[in-house]
Amino acid sequence: MDSIKESGYRKNFSLIVTFIGLISALFVLSLFLAFNFSKKKIEGDFISAKTNVLEESIKPYNDFFLNKLPEISYYNGYLDSVTASKFVDTVLLKYPFVKKVVFYDAEIRNVRYEDNGLNVGDFSIGMKNVYQFGSYIPDDSVKIFGLNSIPNNTTLENFNELALKLYTFVQKLDTTKMPSQEDLFSNFTNIKPNRIDYFNIPRFEDLKIYKKMIREKLNSQPVYQQDMLSFELDPLKIKIKNNRPLLYQSVRIEPVTYDPLDTSSEYITGEITLGGPFSAYKLYFISSKSFVKKEILSYFFPIAALILVFYALLLLVAFLIYRNLNINHKMFRLQYDFLTNLTHEFKTPVSVIKIAGNNIKSATSLSEKEQKLYGKILDEEADKLNGLMNKLLAFTQIENKAIKLNQDEVDIVDFIESTIDAYQLKYPDFQLSYEVTDFKHFITDPVLLGSLFDNLVENAYKYSPPNQKQLHITARLIKDKVVLRFKDAGIGIPASEINNIFKKFYRIQNQYNQAGSVGLGLAFCKELVNFMKGEITVRSVVDKGTEFKIVLPYNS
Amino acid sequence: MPNRVVYFCDMMVVVKKYLWLLLVGIFFACNTGKKVALIPVNDFFKTQDRAIYRLSPDGKYLSYLKLQDKQQSLVVEDLETHQETKLSKLEERNISYYCWVSNDELIYYKDKDGGRFQTDLYIVSRDGKEERLLNANEKSKIRVLEDQLIDDKYLLVTSNKRDSTVFDVYRLNVRNGNMNVVAKNPGNFTNWLTDNNGKLRMAISSDGVDESFWYRENETKPFKKIITNNFKTTLFPVAFSESKPNTIYAISNVNRDKSALVEINCLTGKEANVLFANDTLNVVEAQYSKQRRKMDFVVYETWKKEKHYLDEEAKALFEKLDKLLPKTELRIIHRDRKEKRFVVRTFTDRSPGSYYLYFVDNNYLKKLSDLNSSIKEEEMCEMKPISYMSPDGFKINGYLTLPLHIEPKNLPVVVMPHNGPGQRNVWGYNADVQFLANRGYAVLQVNYRGSTGYGKEFYAAGFKEWGLKIQQDVDAGAQWLIDKKIADPKRIAIYGNGFGGFIAINSAITSPTLYRCAGSSSGVLNLFSYLKTIPPFLTSNLQMFYEIVGNPDKDSEYMRQASPVFHADKVKIPVFITQNPKDPRINGNDAVQFVKELKKLNLSVTYLEKEDNKSPVNREEARQKSYTALEVFLQDNLKKR
Repeated sequence: MDSIKESGYRKNFSLIVTFIGLISALFVLSLFLAFNFSKKKIEGDFISAKTNVLEESIKPYNDFFLNKLPEISYYNGYLDSVTASKFVDTVLLKYPFVKKVVFYDAEIRNVRYEDNGLNVGDFSIGMKNVYQFGSYIPDDSVKIFGLNSIPNNTTLENFNELALKLYTFVQKLDTTKMPSQEDLFSNFTNIKPNRIDYFNIPRFEDLKIYKKMIREKLNSQPVYQQDMLSFELDPLKIKIKNNRPLLYQSVRIEPVTYDPLDTSSEYITGEITLGGPFSAYKLYFISSKSFVKKEILSYFFPIAALILVFYALLLLVAFLIYRNLNINHKMFRLQYDFLTNLTHEFKTPVSVIKIAGNNIKSATSLSEKEQKLYGKILDEEADKLNGLMNKLLAFTQIENKAIKLNQDEVDIVDFIESTIDAYQLKYPDFQLSYEVTDFKHFITDPVLLGSLFDNLVENAYKYSPPNQKQLHITARLIKDKVVLRFKDAGIGIPASEINNIFKKFYRIQNQYNQAGSVGLGLAFCKELVNFMKGEITVRSVVDKGTEFKIVLPYNS
Repeated sequence: MPNRVVYFCDMMVVVKKYLWLLLVGIFFACNTGKKVALIPVNDFFKTQDRAIYRLSPDGKYLSYLKLQDKQQSLVVEDLETHQETKLSKLEERNISYYCWVSNDELIYYKDKDGGRFQTDLYIVSRDGKEERLLNANEKSKIRVLEDQLIDDKYLLVTSNKRDSTVFDVYRLNVRNGNMNVVAKNPGNFTNWLTDNNGKLRMAISSDGVDESFWYRENETKPFKKIITNNFKTTLFPVAFSESKPNTIYAISNVNRDKSALVEINCLTGKEANVLFANDTLNVVEAQYSKQRRKMDFVVYETWKKEKHYLDEEAKALFEKLDKLLPKTELRIIHRDRKEKRFVVRTFTDRSPGSYYLYFVDNNYLKKLSDLNSSIKEEEMCEMKPISYMSPDGFKINGYLTLPLHIEPKNLPVVVMPHNGPGQRNVWGYNADVQFLANRGYAVLQVNYRGSTGYGKEFYAAGFKEWGLKIQQDVDAGAQWLIDKKIADPKRIAIYGNGFGGFIAINSAITSPTLYRCAGSSSGVLNLFSYLKTIPPFLTSNLQMFYEIVGNPDKDSEYMRQASPVFHADKVKIPVFITQNPKDPRINGNDAVQFVKELKKLNLSVTYLEKEDNKSPVNREEARQKSYTALEVFLQDNLKKR
């Protein structure tokens, strides 16, 4: 028996140790992997988050390009210097990267422009007036071209460039199909390094007439108004929105060619080209290695904490499993003991029956006295076996709630007296006394109550030293409960065991219960009381005595 | 209503033995009465399958255009024998205009798909034989000036044969197609008038702003300018007087606020006599009887058109007709030469009406056809005239249409400003209004300042007030409905097309607290773009629009302020926009850019592109789509309180 127990323990323990060892290894490994992952992630971020910074920083420009530029078309060519100036003011205020705006008040007609426009065949695009607007432009130089003045080369060049684009587009225009908005937009804008030129987009109907004007000189001599705005941009004025300040120590706008030699190995750098008119410039990202390391650690710590929590949880689960195994083991031992006791209990009557049987078989003749003796022995031992089996059966039934509770009126005084009478007959050295107050009758199952009394009285006798076998029973009605107390002067129950006595198969190891007991008594009592919807409690002092208190419902 | 839908759905599934149960169900559903059935969108807009009724000059034949199996044909009916002759089967080509030129011949245009103008003129005899193309020149256009043959072979027409931009008057020989110039257009003559004998006597020229009248005593003399008027003034000739020489009847508001019917001495250009004038009544039509050689009546329009008889004989005649058609408005559509037979059209606010043929001699009326047989008068809603004061003291007139069978209290309202400039809402059947009323909305139509029909002053008061006082007039209407407790102040929408859409979208910017949502159908979103639709070489015409809408050189700040397209960021309420990007009258980019910006600002916007649809089936589908979208839009915003 011992060896089974020992080997069982050892096996469990080694398993647990292996388990803890494994998860600890896993813990270390995952920490290591997490750190590596963090490092890779942050290093990857350094490369990939650049587009994010670019996108955020370039947003105002995109807004300007996609929303503000088309507003020029709303004026349908009707812009004049005053309105244009107001329009430009809003642009300069909202978009700091716009340095200067040149406004070309232009016309399309079938009459040539000598030196202030573009002429292809009879189709002419020319400028009437040209104005420049900006923060530092003195009032007297706002108008840079007007009637009878000769435009400077750059002004004319810029104008002609987009005018030619417009001409080419109109010439190729398919008048049966409306061009898409994107098509129109790209053909009426000219994106140059640090400059955007924009012509207002005419209606499709007007474009059709432009096309006619290319083919022939129209009799009606139409003059169509076109507005061109040329925006000079300063990329260095773009506001950088570093949305990863912990990743990028510094973000700057530098020319595309910028590539300093003195960048030591202490730094990580990256770059991304600005698009559109700013294509000559790039965003330049630089961070020291220690700076990046900090970011890696700040990324790693939450992951590590998570792994740690997970590890702790695993340990906790392992501990709980170990504890359950332990308890189960104890239960196993108790059942084992029970089996031994039960065998022993059965063995005595069976061996007596066997001897009696043998004697009857071997005897040649039996005297009447012998016959009576053996008969009595066989009868008594059979009763013992029967009683044992009944007890087991009843217990199983109660436990499985297989029997029905009877409701009879019980005269408590009669009931206690008959019990006392029976036991005094059985054990003449047993001193029994009783006391009933406040009530005479109550309703309960008399059979179950009898079993309860039998068990408790039997226990009181069994666990008392020979000279002190006494028991005092009191019955009292408190509120609507019947309270029964069984007080003996027996050996008592040690405090450490008091929680176990109601458990199945539990027996206190001492000299009093060697003589065949299965440890079912008190567990059976508890089951009974529970079944009768009552409660059982115990108070005990070692060597002084024990008191069982049973509370039952008065009128159930 | 939902009940009934359920019953009908059931009908599909449940077998015959339950039929009686269903019938009981339907009976109950119908008996609950008072609930309004939703009428399908296209029912409101169905066009008549018979249109343009004309009588032959002798009154013996009745002709009309018939649409059958999506094919249009011109039919002539003999009124004696009731025999019908199909003159032409027009495959892929439509007749948009036709007329009788003699008792035996008709002329008509056949329109090619895609071509917008009436170009190919044909003549045909009434038995359908001998169809001939009259003008062979592909590029030039012909317009009929006088629909009666002279000397049984000449037709007076105008054509831009000589110069594509000007129309001269020609005598067209319908027998051989020869054309001879009768009068050359000096360049700006827009209209020509013949006297009762078919002689060309008067011409009207216009430079876009000012309109001049030219007169000649007979065809041998040159035209002489007699009157010049600004476009704000109305003057249009009705007929030459046959009792007084050199006199013309005309509707005029020269030197008065409201139009009157006057006689004008054509030699001096001065007003000679006033036939009907009233300080509060605005004359819009006048009818001259060639038979009696007298003016029959004038029509003035207050909240609806009313007749004032100038001739006892005419009064007796038309009152007899009125008695035959009680409780309805009627208009004479056509008549024969002797004025013995009339084609009459009736209508009310709740019915698009019918065509009748009226025989004067035996006072007999024969029904010809309904304009839209899907419309049941009792399911339509009444259109009531209303008026209120604008904040600055103008009396604003309008119409209120309340949904059927609902107490006029706390209703969801759709305010519908009309298109413009120079238009008004009129009393009569209006498909848009009835559609919305059928869906449970009260509809308010407002004749804001600048609308025609309320005098010169009121018209001019609307100039350059787009987005300003015009907006206030419309808002005041909505406020008036709130004050009257008819409108639920939290459930008012504004919707319109053209300039009506312009007003609606501007409301989304200026009055987001008054309106819950705003919708625009083919709306003007940008006054600059609107001006661009007028070709720049029409400089004088442009001047007129500069005056009405705004001058981009001087008023660009006003125009910018008034144009919704510049203020997408100020829109506060859900917006509904439909347009046909190919519509030559708008700049499609405006709306697209506007909608893009609204979407970027995360505003609720419904945008729908309509397409040009040639076939009626597609047109119905497209209409269904856009009106369903409108219905859903209004429902989403107005139905929940």
